[in-house]
Amino acid sequence: MILTRLVKATSGWSPVLRIGMLVVGLALALGLPWMMYPPIALDIVAWGLFAVALDLLLGYTGMLSFGHAAFWGSSAYATGIIAKQVGLPFYFAVLGGALVVAALALPIAMLCVRRSGIYFAMVTLAFAQMIYFIANQWRAVTGGENGLQGVPRRFFGVDLTDSFYFYYAALPLLLLGLLGAWRVVHSPFGRVMVAIRENQARARALGYPVDRYKVQVFVLSAFLAGVAGGVYAVSHGFASLQEVYWTTSGKVVVMNILGGMGTLWGPVLGAAIIVQLEDYLATAGIDATNLVTGVIFVVTVLLFRRGIWGTVRYLVRSRTATRHDSAADEEDAEAESRPAPARQG
Amino acid sequence: MSGLLQQLFNGLVSGSFYALLALGLSVIFGMLGVVNFAHGAFYMLGAFGAFVLLDSAGLNWWLALLVVPILLGVIGMVLERAFVHRLMHLFPLYNFLLTFGIALILQDLIRLKYGVTSQPYPRPTILDGMVDLGVFTYPKYQVFVLVLSIVLSVLVWLVLTRTRVGMIVRASTERAELTQSLGIDVRRWVTPVFGFGIALAGLAGVLAAPMRAVNSEMGADLIIVIFAVVVIGGLGSVVGSVAAGYIVGMLTEFGNFYIPALSQILVFVLMALVLLLRPAGLFGREEGSPA
Amino acid sequence: MATKLKKAGALTATLAMGAVIAGCAGGGPESEGGKITDDAIKLGVITDLSSVYSELAGPNAVEAVKMAVEDFKAEHGDDAVTQNIEVTEADHQNKPEIANTTAREMYDRDGVDAIFDVPTSSAALAVANIAKQNQKMYFNIGAATTELTGAQCNPYTYHYAYNTHMLAHGTGKTVTEQGSKSWYIIYPDYAFGQDMNKSFTEAIKESGGNVVKADATPFPNDNFATFMTKAPTLTPKPDVLGTMQAGDDLVNVVNQYNEFGLQDKGINLAVGLMFDTDIASIGVKKLEGTLYTTPWFWNLDDRSREWADRFKQRTGTRPTFDHAANYSATMQYLEAVQRTGTDDADAIRKELDGHSFDDFFARNAQFRAADHAVTHDAYLAKLAKVKKESEVKEDFDFTKAVKKIPAEEAYMDAADSGCDMG
Repeated sequence: MILTRLVKATSGWSPVLRIGMLVVGLALALGLPWMMYPPIALDIVAWGLFAVALDLLLGYTGMLSFGHAAFWGSSAYATGIIAKQVGLPFYFAVLGGALVVAALALPIAMLCVRRSGIYFAMVTLAFAQMIYFIANQWRAVTGGENGLQGVPRRFFGVDLTDSFYFYYAALPLLLLGLLGAWRVVHSPFGRVMVAIRENQARARALGYPVDRYKVQVFVLSAFLAGVAGGVYAVSHGFASLQEVYWTTSGKVVVMNILGGMGTLWGPVLGAAIIVQLEDYLATAGIDATNLVTGVIFVVTVLLFRRGIWGTVRYLVRSRTATRHDSAADEEDAEAESRPAPARQG
Repeated sequence: MSGLLQQLFNGLVSGSFYALLALGLSVIFGMLGVVNFAHGAFYMLGAFGAFVLLDSAGLNWWLALLVVPILLGVIGMVLERAFVHRLMHLFPLYNFLLTFGIALILQDLIRLKYGVTSQPYPRPTILDGMVDLGVFTYPKYQVFVLVLSIVLSVLVWLVLTRTRVGMIVRASTERAELTQSLGIDVRRWVTPVFGFGIALAGLAGVLAAPMRAVNSEMGADLIIVIFAVVVIGGLGSVVGSVAAGYIVGMLTEFGNFYIPALSQILVFVLMALVLLLRPAGLFGREEGSPA
Repeated sequence: MATKLKKAGALTATLAMGAVIAGCAGGGPESEGGKITDDAIKLGVITDLSSVYSELAGPNAVEAVKMAVEDFKAEHGDDAVTQNIEVTEADHQNKPEIANTTAREMYDRDGVDAIFDVPTSSAALAVANIAKQNQKMYFNIGAATTELTGAQCNPYTYHYAYNTHMLAHGTGKTVTEQGSKSWYIIYPDYAFGQDMNKSFTEAIKESGGNVVKADATPFPNDNFATFMTKAPTLTPKPDVLGTMQAGDDLVNVVNQYNEFGLQDKGINLAVGLMFDTDIASIGVKKLEGTLYTTPWFWNLDDRSREWADRFKQRTGTRPTFDHAANYSATMQYLEAVQRTGTDDADAIRKELDGHSFDDFFARNAQFRAADHAVTHDAYLAKLAKVKKESEVKEDFDFTKAVKKIPAEEAYMDAADSGCDMG
């Protein structure tokens, strides 16, 4: 049964706890539109997948992409165009969008992995900005500043105008993406990712083609971000320049930091909080979104670098530490313990 | 021909700002290993500093040129001691994110206080009008900006190459571990260097106040271009960042002239080319593997 | 700044108030019929409360809507179709994605009957799509794009106040007719700038002028040196530099136009779109004598001044045309509800289509049925000459009307708009 296999793959948590978490997670995902306005619920899950996609790079492989908006946004456009032009159910459009983005990510990844650390962050940011300018210029395709309007929600002839039903139609796609990320992290490939994060030189010395792994993770991450961005575009019925702007890249990083990077669950939690917060700020008429985001950044980075999920997990673990003293737990991305790597030029 | 020369000159003037900002970013990175995302925000604060001094205290631009960078330099040092320092021994990305957060906060605070429309700032009277440069006439003020930025860059370069302080900074910029192992106390210089980098950004801001729109967002998009500039020049390299600043300035202006629609993309295309051909940057040194 | 009650709080408060009033008054003309859904008219203002347009639209646009609601209630008293009118506001930060989500929430979750303002073309079009889907009323005021009444028009969207065609056929036409035949146009390279360039080029050619060159400039951009040095080298040398930049970019253009001394080189400046807030931030001195087109300004005449005085008492500042148009549109909507006795969108749009009116903001005005442009007269205005900035005694007191642009000229023929109501 899939659950037992999932459970076997995780280490360090008691099985009961892990089953419990999966059940609770699934129940939450299914119950979300009953608890809040359905489009917001969908936003949470879509941003959640986007944040998890970034977590693969940032939390697990130690690569801070500050330009992931490029992938989320390009897929939003590509998905939108496919959905408008081709009369297929939106699943195909989303898949197409994500594939386009994977193809786009490959050359960018190959250039970006030539640098690492902070350089990598700046280079990804710069490439994303380039994509932004292209999206702005290529008006015939993207609609420029006006955005790509009127993306349809086609789905095997079922009427999905009501966002409540659309949520359930789109959910499997997003859950599949999350499951994929989860599988990757707990596969041998995932172990290599963590090895690269912990010590790139050692991973290379052990014979792993580090750059190739990095490119693969990058493209995979872009693909998942693409799935999320595509669903988002269909949900909102349009794609805009905002989707490829660098503040969107910053937003998904803050979700990771806040929730706890390298934890998979954390970024989803971070996404839930940020999406709700933004909705609250917009409707409550508090005009200081950036100030609030900035404070979250500063406080999290200074005071609880593990993020919310990471902190909770750390506390749970230190209580159960006696039972699991083989604590060399690679899935854990405790930032505190991570040494500053040698500066790379 | 004079048209071409004029575009070249335009490029150098706009490159002046890139050079000053990239220079500050580069020394900070060299000394601390921190990429300061808030650099653009301090550029903005520089311009606002000049505006506030004029508006509330009647201090003119020349005084602002002196006072504002010193003030911001001190603020920068406080910031370094209070926050940046705590994260220095950790994964360098944390400081990147910290300064990103600080940039958002600073920009939003200024916006909440001064609103979103640009603040007017007059040109200093002596620098009003045009000057005849032989081939063409050009606004005096912009010529002044160019000259000042070149003089400053040369000064910084002289300090870095001819003085003991400079040697230490440069050595730790380019060979951090080695310098430390030679028993030189690098830490003493960390805070002042951070302050100095911020002061340079502030100075660029004061220079911008009379010729650019002064508003809370003025540094936000600029910082990304500056990132591309330092990647092109080689982040650790002082000469590289200044040179790349002027190169990017000219590239954008020529782009504006011949292919306006694509001019903003050019800098990123150049960056991609540099990454492909010389991953360490035009003036950077390869250190071990290109990764 | 508007008071910001939480929605739920506002709802209960107004409901309670409404119940009391209904009890006293014994109901308006239609209250027994129950044609007002939820027994309340709900108005939503989606505007920029925190970003670049928050001063020219923003919180004061919300105030203008609230002011109209109060005036409506006071005017009709017991005869009002309902006294129960709520105003909710939302900040879209000029982002189409936020506009899209909030519009949907307002119509869908909060039962809002009509949405107002929505500056920024991309956000405006996003809301138009939602209005169409939800079949609810939408009055756009803050955006300039002709797409709203063109290719992307729909039966539930009206476009109030202004558009790129009006700006071009005011400024472009007049300046050309006054003898500045050859133009050098610079426009920011995004939808608004491209629209403006197209409209201006048309208007200039129609009036016998020519565009020597039109350059797209990066957006946003703070350095226009290339274009300033290029202008005098063009052949034939242009008589006028037409800038389509807006906001901060415009500030930069005007500064650098002055710095590069283009006026001394015989090149005049014409500005495509200028709000009072832009003029204040550039400084009137730098712009003295500049011609520009505006649908309204507060010092236009006695009727306008009277309203502007009331507005100032309330907000402490003079209104921009966006504020005035928000008030006017809200009033027109409420009056239509009063006339029909229902807030049903289909009834309202049938009532409004073809309706002619005249108020302090919109003169010679009509809700044009064919493309849903609300057409009215506009003005070619000129900025006063001042010796010092301090001569401007009051907010935005620097505009004189030079010429009235009749509605028929200010708006393109409905037949040419490309709108198909379907």
